[in-house]
Amino acid sequence: MRLLSFLCLGIAAIAPMPAAAGVAFVINSGAASISLIDMGTRKELARIPALREPHHWALSPDGASLVVGDSAGNALLLLDPATGALRRRVTVADPYQLGYSPDGKFLVVNGLARNQVDVYDARDFTLVKRFPIRSMPSHLAFAPDSSRVFVTLQGTDRLAAFDLKAMRALWDVPVGSTPAGVLWHDGRLLVADMGTDHLVEVDPADGRVLRKVVTGKGAHNLFLSPDGRVIWVNNRVAGTTEELDAKTLAPIRTFRIAGGPDDLAFAPDGKVWITRRFAESVAVLDPSTGAVTTVPAGRSPHGIFLNPSAPSAARLARG
Amino acid sequence: MGDPFDLAAGWLQEHALLPLLYALGLMRWEEVSYGWALFAVYGAVQVALTYAVCVPLERWRPVERWPDRRAVGVDVLYTLISRVGVLPLVTFVLFYQAQVALSGWMADHGWVPPMLETVFPALLGRPVLTFLCYAAILDCADYWRHRLSHRFCWWWALHALHHAQRQMTFWSDDRNHLLDDLIGFLLFGAVALAIGVPPLQFPLLVLLLRFVESLSHANARISFGWLGERLLVSPRFHRAHHGVLAAGQRSCNYGAVLPWWDMLFGTADFARAYAPTGVPGAEAALHSGTYLRQQWAGLRGLWRALGRPALTNARRRGAG
Repeated sequence: MRLLSFLCLGIAAIAPMPAAAGVAFVINSGAASISLIDMGTRKELARIPALREPHHWALSPDGASLVVGDSAGNALLLLDPATGALRRRVTVADPYQLGYSPDGKFLVVNGLARNQVDVYDARDFTLVKRFPIRSMPSHLAFAPDSSRVFVTLQGTDRLAAFDLKAMRALWDVPVGSTPAGVLWHDGRLLVADMGTDHLVEVDPADGRVLRKVVTGKGAHNLFLSPDGRVIWVNNRVAGTTEELDAKTLAPIRTFRIAGGPDDLAFAPDGKVWITRRFAESVAVLDPSTGAVTTVPAGRSPHGIFLNPSAPSAARLARG
Repeated sequence: MGDPFDLAAGWLQEHALLPLLYALGLMRWEEVSYGWALFAVYGAVQVALTYAVCVPLERWRPVERWPDRRAVGVDVLYTLISRVGVLPLVTFVLFYQAQVALSGWMADHGWVPPMLETVFPALLGRPVLTFLCYAAILDCADYWRHRLSHRFCWWWALHALHHAQRQMTFWSDDRNHLLDDLIGFLLFGAVALAIGVPPLQFPLLVLLLRFVESLSHANARISFGWLGERLLVSPRFHRAHHGVLAAGQRSCNYGAVLPWWDMLFGTADFARAYAPTGVPGAEAALHSGTYLRQQWAGLRGLWRALGRPALTNARRRGAG
């Protein structure tokens, strides 16, 4: 049997590799796992066990590690972004949403359940500063010069700003109802207000709401397209994803994405991958035709990371 | 194609709960509501599965036959409240709030709760084995919770409600006083803080464990045989625990799923078989009252017990 396994391995090693189509990492928050899906065949290649409840991810500044936050597991999982191999586990309190500052110095971690915003040294994960905050710090966005980080507070309907140079809280102001996704865009902040049907444009200097843009019920998260021309907004309650003109924020098109659309990622072929929290799957939307195909995943898929240059399924399967 | 139960919960969340939360301005609870939807759907499946298996068993080999089964009706209500309805919602909300407050406080003091997998790294990557370890530990903790609920006079006053049923069927498993449930919940929370809680990634396994608990209350002459009785709690084994001679402090067979803890701690009794159930001397409301009357009777019993902590063992047995 062992000999047979060895022979099979040898055959695999010399067999021609299928064309590299890339790998999608889908974080199944309700199944304590991460699904690795071949972006070409749309088949699940492997399922990596997490501890409890993984939600979001951040790519390390050097691109070498895909860092997944397991909030209820109090751990960061450092994965090889090419193969999904687990390299290291770091104990961190309640990592729900996380992001590296653009200058690569800090990793900011929102503890949604523990009401804290933690700033870690990106090199060694030592805690630099903890900001206790009420309540439910959810999503985050950085100023491009890394001077500030902005955090939505779902429990108190507010947006908070923190100075990463002086390591102090700047302001904390109401911006609507159950704010979730936040995006730095063109010198302004855009905040998706999940308790309403719109996002708000906010002045990053003081948190003042400048205007509202209607997108759909339960505006949850928003993303800038790779070419910078379109902002995509996922509307949780309406079950839609909305295209907005990035310059004017005027609506362009609405696509029906049922099953609680949440996070979103852009594939090089122009397709948009959207996690469906309540449908155990990912929707792959072709914006050119409006066609949607469904890719099965685990329970409550949340964060999604696409690595188009990941090796083929054959190499991944051998880990 | 995903798990049909998960998809049913997702449908419930998407088409009923989310629009409701949105209309009420409560969208911050959407993650909690999805957890509840999963709980409720799996609870409904548990009830359906238990019904499908236990009803034929109870008709095939009943221990007792009752011309009037009205007393069983209230146990049906207990089951639906506990597994599908209000209780999961309340406990989810309460548990979530308590968890936020407590874990936040601990994190402020620089302490992250340990977990079985972090203490024993060999368990990492073996989720089924990990879950089974958690299940065994939690079953052991539940054994002691149950045993202590018979030991302390005030606690027994509440737990007597579970035992007062003279027409014990598979519906009787969830027949508990709300305060008794709450104490169990707090104890579970304490164990969870010490070793973590297993992720809810094996709902079918949880469903199976709950099925064993319901089956153990069935009004059926079912034994698992000499070996089987020592591996899993059977209706025969658990009925001895509910027997009239085993009420109060002198009980036996406290285990819910595994009889090992009774064997280990000297409380196993494999000899008693198919005794009548109930609490001798318990007030009528406790066994034949409505849901609310039973709850109220439990509170009255608690009040009396707290006022008379020095009750003798013999009188404790009759308390209720």
